[in-house]
Amino acid sequence: MSRPEFVYVTYIETTPEKLWEALTSSEFTRRYWFNTEVRSDWKVGSPIALVMDGKTTDVGEILEADRPRRLSYTFKHVLDEELKKEPASKVVVTIEPHGKVAKLTLTHEGFVEGGKMLDGISKGWPAIIASLKSLLESGTALAIPLAALGIEGIE
Amino acid sequence: MSKPEFVYVIYIASTPEKVFEALTDTEASRRYWHGNFVESDWKVGSPFALRLVRHEKDDITGEVLEYDPPRRLSYSFRAQDGLDGGKASRVTFELEPQRDQVRLTMIHDQFEPGSDVLEKVSQGWPLVLSSLKSYVECGKVLHAPWYEDQPLVPGKTAGATR
Repeated sequence: MSRPEFVYVTYIETTPEKLWEALTSSEFTRRYWFNTEVRSDWKVGSPIALVMDGKTTDVGEILEADRPRRLSYTFKHVLDEELKKEPASKVVVTIEPHGKVAKLTLTHEGFVEGGKMLDGISKGWPAIIASLKSLLESGTALAIPLAALGIEGIE
Repeated sequence: MSKPEFVYVIYIASTPEKVFEALTDTEASRRYWHGNFVESDWKVGSPFALRLVRHEKDDITGEVLEYDPPRRLSYSFRAQDGLDGGKASRVTFELEPQRDQVRLTMIHDQFEPGSDVLEKVSQGWPLVLSSLKSYVECGKVLHAPWYEDQPLVPGKTAGATR
């Protein structure tokens, strides 16, 4: 049977280049990603850190960076005591142009059975990606209160 | 293991009323559903159809299972091409207000094991719901050239074909 993973597909009226920029520029991510900065030089082998409100929440290493088509990195939570115990997972983002629209596919995989991490990211990504889509299309990000997502260990 | 189903969550900067309207209004659906459109009087037990304007004869058909505006909508979903032995699956929309937004959860379930319909709708729903979000938020719709370039069936775009 399939291993536990999270896959989310959306379509955004934008260019692959703008979408790549929106996913990798902290100036941009702060606006739609719960005030999170994505700190990395985006070179394969380089570290990446997600920093929310000044606190590092997740760290990893860049595995692939093929601008503006494919980005992947390992993903290890470092803040919450429970979630910290789970092994590093992997995020893969692919971007495909379709006319005026870009198809964004985000896959987050490598979770342990019965862990809490998968549940948490399954609540987090749809909100982050919805906000990203709104920001690129209408210029206004969605102000979703993080607490409303009901993620255990994250308040 | 988990039951075969497709679940999609999307946040829309709007009210539950407006999103519910977009899900059930023929003209609105035509805008974001690439010319296809929903038809029903939305009474529980009444027929539901998703008219596919690029298919000669067949439409997706079903019955209204739940109609609770602006919170919940559910209909059965029989594939137009006889897949899954013509057995219907079930589509349910749940709308929850979240401050100035709506969390829309779509669940498509009650598939047969190994369903071909599940495979197809898993491809289709993200585009339709992404387009719905763009339509409700910005009044614009997402164009899908790989799909929209297929020819329309003459006479099928008019609606009220029953």
